Amino acid sequence: MDLINQLFLGFAVVFEPLNLFYCFIGVLIGTLVGVLPGMGPVAAMSLLLPATFHTSPVASIIMLAGIYYGAMYGGSTTSILVNIPGEAASVMTCLDGYQMARQGKAGRALGISAFGSFIAGTIGIVGLVLIAPPLVDFALKFGPPEYFSLMVLGLTILTFLTSASMIRALMMATFGLIIGTMGLDNISGLARFTFNIPELLDGVGLVPVVMGLFGISEVLLNIEMKIKREVFTTKVKGLLPTLEDWAKSIGSIIRGTVLGFFLGILPGGGAVIASFVSYAIEKRVSKHPEEFGKGAIQGVAAPEAANNSAAQGAFIPLLTLGIPSNVVMAMLLGALIIHGVTPGPLLLSQHPQLFWGVVASMYVGNIMLLFLNLPLIGLWVQLLKVPYSILFPLIILFCLLGSYSINNSTMDVAIMLVFGVIGYLMKKISLEAAPMVLAFVLGPMMETALRQSLIKSKGGFSIFFTRPISATCLILAIALMVIPLLPWFRRPGVSLEREDVK
Amino acid sequence: MKKTYLVNDLIWISFAFVVCLGGLKLGFGSFQSPQAGFMPFLAGLLLAILAVADLAQGLLHKWERDRPDRVIWADIHWGKLLFTLSALILYTALFSTLGFLIGTFFLLLFLYQMMERRSWTTVLIAAAVTTALFYLTFKIGLDSQLPRGFLGF
Repeated sequence: MDLINQLFLGFAVVFEPLNLFYCFIGVLIGTLVGVLPGMGPVAAMSLLLPATFHTSPVASIIMLAGIYYGAMYGGSTTSILVNIPGEAASVMTCLDGYQMARQGKAGRALGISAFGSFIAGTIGIVGLVLIAPPLVDFALKFGPPEYFSLMVLGLTILTFLTSASMIRALMMATFGLIIGTMGLDNISGLARFTFNIPELLDGVGLVPVVMGLFGISEVLLNIEMKIKREVFTTKVKGLLPTLEDWAKSIGSIIRGTVLGFFLGILPGGGAVIASFVSYAIEKRVSKHPEEFGKGAIQGVAAPEAANNSAAQGAFIPLLTLGIPSNVVMAMLLGALIIHGVTPGPLLLSQHPQLFWGVVASMYVGNIMLLFLNLPLIGLWVQLLKVPYSILFPLIILFCLLGSYSINNSTMDVAIMLVFGVIGYLMKKISLEAAPMVLAFVLGPMMETALRQSLIKSKGGFSIFFTRPISATCLILAIALMVIPLLPWFRRPGVSLEREDVK
Repeated sequence: MKKTYLVNDLIWISFAFVVCLGGLKLGFGSFQSPQAGFMPFLAGLLLAILAVADLAQGLLHKWERDRPDRVIWADIHWGKLLFTLSALILYTALFSTLGFLIGTFFLLLFLYQMMERRSWTTVLIAAAVTTALFYLTFKIGLDSQLPRGFLGF
């Protein structure tokens, strides 16, 4: 009963005209960046973060969250019609979605993708409502050792899943930790690696780093390529899937939803990994695996469902533990802190309007997305025809101004350019940016938790292994690091070169 | 020999070495009482170990799982890339002096023309319209504090 009252509170919040407006703007921009290759939800969220400074924390988080799950919807459009994933979590949708479009079934592919996303998104929100409150009680038992170990586990999972080489992914995570130490030391107040530049005393900002790594680097990379795009615009008809389509897909949607939700909760997991794993599972359980890659509708339904429910599940660790499970959640963490809200176990009791408002906005946002993605599909298709030669200068300008407007500082723009070049070089040699960014965000929290734990234990590392939650997390992390050394193990090899985040 | 990956590992090892030294200079403290350099030193050390492991793995297996140098650096339009980067650096350096409107107009003029050859009239109009739209969005819509520059607008 209490849960229902809380949900009503959430709906009362989201139906305030301003919040409703921000929710719409969020899902609209999310769909837009999902549709357009070259700019992902993280870059869009970074860009719009300064715009939320003048509004309430609730409206701001509602909009930023809308961009994330909106991009999950929109990303499928380019995958199906152009064979270019508009967003990294839609990579798997290309395989069968594009083949369906080539066979004249673009409408049905887009339809099942939108409906699958809607069903998964809705179930994901129910899961969030049911799991988050009990988890808050559990999270109250967390002390510095538990937080440290959980963050280690999160980073290990991400490095385990995201790259062909775990060593290189761990190198990137370590690089992120080092960048995270720049600025004033939290405990002693000593300036670290600031090179006598006053702007660096607060450390390197998340927005310039993310925009450089995911926005500018993408543009630099694309300058050197010629991308051939063939848009199946004339065959987009019959958006409602047939009964046969539903019969084939419903099981895939349910499996994708459940799997995606739990992979989303996992620290280090997320929508991209969820879509890869769900596709692999569908192929394995199918009676006709040979149809996958040739236009199997299950190959569209499952990954789309998985990436949407993962997007909802990913909110759980952020809202209950204050730990972002992926780069997008790290952006939301930054936004909450800017607005003076500390995410964590106390968020639910101290800011119930924010918590339940955001949850309820996802219901409303999902319905908005269904209308944005089906009847307006023609509009999104037209957008796909915007030439890159026009698109890229605009993306560059958005990144430049987005970085500048955070602190009105050209130093942030310079930092963004530096990370743009670093990101470009990293992409050239297939080094993943995702572990780096997550470690960069978690770094300061990890350092504080580590130092507090060591002070508490008078320098003994046993504190991490004598407390059950901490020990479990560390043992799992160690196991994940050891597994790739075993001779029979074959790496998952999921590349997130264009991460959830892109 | 895949020089790119060899150089990459050597750069990471050098960087890790510098970070470790920086950490020690800041003060490592002890495990009982970690100081400001504690985390940078540990992270630098870990990075060095990982980079050495990657290098060793590469040398042992001759980087057979990695892309060859000629593939990594093939078909790069160095001119376009360097011109774009130079333009962005120049824009950043002169942003406050030139102001948003003038700086952005010239940057867009350059980017539009460089990405694809078009007539100067088209490019001039496109750059002016885009600058105006961005000004309206950021200055009027989002109330951003954009620099006015030496001309005062």
